[in-house]
Amino acid sequence: MIGYVPGRSPLHRAHPYTTLALAGAILLGAFALTGPLAVWLLVLAAAAFAAVGGVLRASLRTALVLSLPIWVLLFVLHGLLGAEPRIVLGPVALSAAGVARALVLGGRVTAIVLGFLAALATASPHALVEAMTADGVPFGRTFLLASTLTVLPRMRERAVQILEAQQCRGLRLGGSPVARLRALGPLVLPLVLGALAEVDEQVLALDARGAAGAARRTALAPPNDSAGQRVLRWTLLVLVAAAYAWKFRSMRG
Amino acid sequence: MTALIALEHVSFTYPGAARPALTDVSLELAAGDVLVVTGETGAGASTLLLVLAGFAPRVVGGHLSGSRSGTAQRCGVVFARPWTQLTGLCPTVRDEVAFGPASLGRPRDAVLAAAGRALEQLRIPHLADREPGQLSGGELQRVVVAAALAMGPDVLALDDPAAELDPEAADALYDLLPAIARAGTAVVVATPDLERAARVATRGVVLDAGRLVAQGAPAEVLDATDAAVIARAAGCPPPLPLDVPALVRRVAR
Repeated sequence: MIGYVPGRSPLHRAHPYTTLALAGAILLGAFALTGPLAVWLLVLAAAAFAAVGGVLRASLRTALVLSLPIWVLLFVLHGLLGAEPRIVLGPVALSAAGVARALVLGGRVTAIVLGFLAALATASPHALVEAMTADGVPFGRTFLLASTLTVLPRMRERAVQILEAQQCRGLRLGGSPVARLRALGPLVLPLVLGALAEVDEQVLALDARGAAGAARRTALAPPNDSAGQRVLRWTLLVLVAAAYAWKFRSMRG
Repeated sequence: MTALIALEHVSFTYPGAARPALTDVSLELAAGDVLVVTGETGAGASTLLLVLAGFAPRVVGGHLSGSRSGTAQRCGVVFARPWTQLTGLCPTVRDEVAFGPASLGRPRDAVLAAAGRALEQLRIPHLADREPGQLSGGELQRVVVAAALAMGPDVLALDDPAAELDPEAADALYDLLPAIARAGTAVVVATPDLERAARVATRGVVLDAGRLVAQGAPAEVLDATDAAVIARAAGCPPPLPLDVPALVRRVAR
């Protein structure tokens, strides 16, 4: 699951800036925190964030699928090739420091991916556009951000269509890794070329509908913001700044 | 009467192309016109549409020589594939249609009123609260035309608008064009579908390798019978082949 999922959870009802601020705080927090325990508390916070949005199961599944190759790579790099002393687990001798390092790095990746998947699933791109429009942000910048949120689900939808079409024409996806790699061509090329051709038409269509105009767009239904949400966003900012201050101070010490 | 758009000896070359896509084209477009542009694939009909609508070279780049003038302030454009013309950011058809007027910075009430009028004009007010992604191709193409009309364009340019539609939806779309023209918007359609186009056109233009080879009444230049197509290909001036109605017209002149 990657992309917006309509719903009525507190995160769905929240101002999109609040949802994005929470995801942003997880991202920045992941790099500010250095110990395994702190990082894994952040993973739990990201999971709680997804649970509040009612998208925990789907987000967690996708986050694990996306971060699994990174976990494997981290354990090979740091666990097997890391410094002494080693912990012997059956036939494998793992570096204690390397495992701790892999846990921190892997935890960071998992927290960031989970936080952003939950934000993507609960922050409506339309509400974000309306919020930014109400704040007077030029449409070019608004579109850049909002289309980034919608590009993955659109590409995935298109990829499924191309896959089905190519399979109807005899494309076989099984077999050896080389055969699978070869099968990527008929999938990726139409996906990329089709997307480029459509971008041309979309640019013309958006231009014809005044998207590139100089006038300030009218926000038709800007999302509700509240003092509580504004306080939450500022608090997150202060917490992130404090975490970085603490990190740099402990680095100097 | 002043022309909405007048092209005089216009030639246009796409960026990086060795040959011009249009060569020495002159024509005028007036309010109430339903001008059908046709020709073989690659004849330049779509390019002529882009030049008439002011997108070439302003948006697509390239080089234009000759002159393009007229009183038209705003041009709407509709392409064959309706899904490429959606913003991808609007949860309802009403929002999608209102996107253009909102881009002009009109007050909220005026934007919603313009969207409502356009939906009425296309006979789709019942779709206003539907999600664009869940509509059929025919419904979606009507939404795209409504979105273009909501901007209040002087000229509506449609590039093979029924290419992706079933015959019933294509008929329904073409049947709407005369009413749009009567309401004051000049309509230009580039299409190889002469049967439907001849039914609604007030004038026809035939292109061949970027050159305008015939221009006149639909019965003269858009006749889709085999004999007429062969006569045109052989360079016989209309009205050839000389059937009884054409003979009567010729004698009457």
